[in-house]
Amino acid sequence: MPRHIAILTPFLILIMLGLVVWQTDAPYARAAPILQETPSGGPAPTAQETPSAPPPTPIPAQNLSLSDEYCLGCHGQPGQTYELQNGEQLDLYVDPVVHQASVHGEQGYACVQCHADVGEYPHPPFQAADRREVTLKLNAVCQRCHSHQFELAEDDAHAAAQAAGIREAAVCVDCHTAHEVRRLTDPETHELLPETRQWIPERCALCHSAIYEKYHDSVHGSALSAGNPDVPTCIDCHGVHNIEDPTTAHFRLQSPRICADCHTDPHIMDKYGISTNVLDTYVADFHGTTVAIFEKQSPDAEVNKAVCYDCHGVHDISSPSDPETGIEMKSNLLVRCQTCHPDANENFPSSWMSHYVPSAENYRVVYWVNKFYAFFIPAVLGSMGALVVLDASRAAIERRKRRRSASEPSGAIIVETSADASPVTDSTSPDQPAGGSADDESAPTDSNSPTEDSHG
Amino acid sequence: MSDSSRPPVAIERTFHRFTYSQRWEHLILLAAFTVLLLTGLPQKYRASEWSQWLLSTPERVILFRQIHHIAALVLTAEVIYHLGKAIYLAARRRLSGAIFPTMQDGRDFVQMMAFLFFLSRKKPAFGKYNFEQKFTYWFLFFGIGIMVISGFILWFPEVITIVLPGGVIPAALLAHSNEAVIAVIFIIIWHFYHVHFERLNLSIFTGRLSEREMRAYHAAEFENLTGEPADWSVPEQAPTQTGGQPGGVS
Repeated sequence: MPRHIAILTPFLILIMLGLVVWQTDAPYARAAPILQETPSGGPAPTAQETPSAPPPTPIPAQNLSLSDEYCLGCHGQPGQTYELQNGEQLDLYVDPVVHQASVHGEQGYACVQCHADVGEYPHPPFQAADRREVTLKLNAVCQRCHSHQFELAEDDAHAAAQAAGIREAAVCVDCHTAHEVRRLTDPETHELLPETRQWIPERCALCHSAIYEKYHDSVHGSALSAGNPDVPTCIDCHGVHNIEDPTTAHFRLQSPRICADCHTDPHIMDKYGISTNVLDTYVADFHGTTVAIFEKQSPDAEVNKAVCYDCHGVHDISSPSDPETGIEMKSNLLVRCQTCHPDANENFPSSWMSHYVPSAENYRVVYWVNKFYAFFIPAVLGSMGALVVLDASRAAIERRKRRRSASEPSGAIIVETSADASPVTDSTSPDQPAGGSADDESAPTDSNSPTEDSHG
Repeated sequence: MSDSSRPPVAIERTFHRFTYSQRWEHLILLAAFTVLLLTGLPQKYRASEWSQWLLSTPERVILFRQIHHIAALVLTAEVIYHLGKAIYLAARRRLSGAIFPTMQDGRDFVQMMAFLFFLSRKKPAFGKYNFEQKFTYWFLFFGIGIMVISGFILWFPEVITIVLPGGVIPAALLAHSNEAVIAVIFIIIWHFYHVHFERLNLSIFTGRLSEREMRAYHAAEFENLTGEPADWSVPEQAPTQTGGQPGGVS
């Protein structure tokens, strides 16, 4: 028996300590917000890309072999066209005023710094099957100065589409234009200029017009149109240059982090009275716990748990309190729930605690259940533990007392009980059938009791 | 043979304590409980490293959840059997009342406290189930009840919310996960202490208690069954171990 105890005791103490420690690390927040600790691998929050190399200082045009005037001698005349192999007409006219107003023109970049392979007049004919091929070929010159952005763009969803043979997928000049390239960031801070934020959705809308329409009417898009600098424009969620394919499992899993970038920032949210608790409360719930962990553990896993945009909408995000579409209205939220829970009825949406931390006001049942266990667990642990310790120490004392008094019958367990005081000296007849008492259940009372066999 | 030709012999009587059905119920409960804990605790402690290592992919989560559900069904079936049998026996006036708390348990508790605090030299003489054992049974009875009910609420939230408000689901989640911890703590501190540490009590597996154990720990029951006094001044020789043959002769 003592050895039995000696072996088991350390184990049990360890297990108990472990349980107590887990239990005490906050009963409610089951999963710590994981999103903060991981370095942001998602889309860059804004266009503050650190320029890898400073742009080369503009070379004064007069030092070039060919001045802009020389080029504009031909290309400055409107109506110049060139027939490509498929019969398309390529417009060769460049409006010198427009180019001068562009960021390149402002800084005095000359035509031949991009069109470096033309040489003296007459320059060799440009070989291209169609107009798109012209764009794709000439687009490569951007990397000469903007190699950092160009490399980023080689990893993005558009480049992947290009590689898959979709020639319409955007390249540099599709967004930035060829000769009207705008200044987008403040040269000092590298922050986006305010007008850039509104310009970006218009550029994306050139191809993604249906999405633009949704975005434009959303809570973010409408605020952007009104000049609000806090709301996200396309690139804040999708990134710049290395735009990730948003249809992948990976994008889905890490998407809460995109929203959380702004929605956990009190500097932005306090202005609008929006809780910054939204991520923590999401991660504390079923859906969020799973998403947050898989985002860390297996970022490419297909997870069917709801992420932010499954309830709030992807581009057509509306304020939860919007009188028509807001998901504060349970009937609106129910539609979202039913996407995954087709059998859900109107009670179902309130099983999601709407980013509330349960309190005496919100989700009272949950709050009191939590409070009950916060009391009950230590109470059980404490009282059971105390009784066990008392019992064990009392038993140990008794045992030592017995050992001292040598007169005890060896092997017998001596537990003094109040059962009887008067010892009876009848040592025979151990074979009384022990039947009769209201023994438990239907068992045949004591079928195997005193089977006795007196020796001899 | 004459007595002198053989070493002294002791006879150990054993006393029937649990039916086959009860012993099986305990085994199944033990197995289901263990499986439920092993698959449930990783789901509860999702913030911890070991849980994330175990449940690292959606496939693993689904697997754990399925095992958890199967074990839950086994446990539910056992609960239904247990209650059904109790109702059946009660209807035929054959249900033993031994497990129900009585005033005697209160007195035993007071006596036990007096013993533990050295106010008395005597432990109470317990019946078939002492108050600690009754407490174990009823604590787990209600604990399992909470686990089964909240578990099914979590398993079928869409069905439950047809009749109940949605708030019961997060409440059930909390109850389920906290009650699980209580159950573990309770089993480890209370139950393990009484059946492993205080003494090794295997009667739930063997179905029997020896005479020595009966006299020591269930004195009232012993006297009730045999009509003999439970005090050990009676036998001349100490009984020796019977080598696994219950009721046999050594």
